[in-house]
Amino acid sequence: MATPLSDLLLNDRGFTFDPASGETFQLNTTGLRIVRMLQQGLDSDAVLGRMIEDFEVDENTARRDLDDFLSGLKQLGWAG
Amino acid sequence: MSTAPRIAVSGLHRGENPQPGAGIIRSIRRAFADAFIVGLTYDAFESGIYVEGGPDAVYAMPYPTSGPEAYFERLDTVLEKTPFDFFIPTLDAEIELLVHLGQDIAARGLITCLPDKQMLQRRAKDRLVDLANACDVAVPDTVPVYDVAGAARGARELGYPLMVKGQYYDARKVGTEPELVAAVNKLLAEWGAPAILQRCVHGPEFNALGLGDGRGGIIGLCCIRKTIVSDKGKGLGGITIADKRLDELCSRLIRELRWRGPFEIEVMIDESRRKYVLIEINPRFPAWVDFPSMLGANFPATLLTMMATGLTPAPMTPCPAGHFYLRHQIEVHGHIEQLAALSTSTDFDVPAETTSRTSAQV
Repeated sequence: MATPLSDLLLNDRGFTFDPASGETFQLNTTGLRIVRMLQQGLDSDAVLGRMIEDFEVDENTARRDLDDFLSGLKQLGWAG
Repeated sequence: MSTAPRIAVSGLHRGENPQPGAGIIRSIRRAFADAFIVGLTYDAFESGIYVEGGPDAVYAMPYPTSGPEAYFERLDTVLEKTPFDFFIPTLDAEIELLVHLGQDIAARGLITCLPDKQMLQRRAKDRLVDLANACDVAVPDTVPVYDVAGAARGARELGYPLMVKGQYYDARKVGTEPELVAAVNKLLAEWGAPAILQRCVHGPEFNALGLGDGRGGIIGLCCIRKTIVSDKGKGLGGITIADKRLDELCSRLIRELRWRGPFEIEVMIDESRRKYVLIEINPRFPAWVDFPSMLGANFPATLLTMMATGLTPAPMTPCPAGHFYLRHQIEVHGHIEQLAALSTSTDFDVPAETTSRTSAQV
């Protein structure tokens, strides 16, 4: 049972509503940025590039954090 | 509607275990401010009798279990005193009686919008598995039981804990055989046979409120996830959702039943299977029926229009996702004279000084 990421309702503080399941979530600033980028149609490589640039982290750290986050999204049933 | 509609509504209680009638009245008044509403009650303590904006006249009715003769005798007396044209029954036991007596209702010139006998029976709790299978919808393992011995056999088959449900109302979770015996005895005595044993499902609960056109179509649908559930399983809060899978599940059931009139479909997501399972289908609006009216989807008003015109209304606008309701209990005020009137003469008009509306002449 997957909800397209484009259907999620988000506010600027990371409060997130899944309209299909009725569940609410709180994303942190980084999570919110990633979801917004994915909603805009960026693929995971493009998101990774932006993360390295914006947060000034090395590629390995950024990739590990992004993979963790994407796997969390998958567990929530949110599909890109 | 050219003249003010005159409608009877039952099920006015809004306490711990609320009934739909008070919400229906509120919704009708949103769309038809001049409607004249007759409350038909089974208990002088139904709180919706006394609420501001409640019924214009109130009459006590005999329980449906008293049989059709007593029921219609009383209905005739009410109609003579305070005529009405439309009747929205809201209690399962009442609907069960009325669908078998459609000719008697029609003979009195009353207009209802109810399922027929076959539709009603096919969604009964003891036949839900057959319906679900016909619609390719998952359903918890279910065993109808007619006595305690049968219940013990059923429980061995399903395993504890399990849900025990009355034919019309009430559900209890039981974890041991003594609890099972007590629950089955109570539910059989209260609601008759069969009682229903159902394997427990763990996961969030969802409700869908809707109106069927009698040809398999849905005129309107509002789906919510229950966000606050009382210890008796009542939804004290809910949020609107938009999930095509749930819409399709409802469509399949209503198409198969060719359901006519109001309905409430209760489902859960079985967390172990990550899929919707059908819990029950009620042949009436739920108690939260006035919530979608606040979002512009007034189901009781649409039902009334459907009854008045005999036509299928245009599809209702879907309720947008992300709106929530919270059940908010308040005190209502009554006077001992009102209670006395209902308890002795079994009818009363709502005193003019307590409302802004004209009282019925009863």
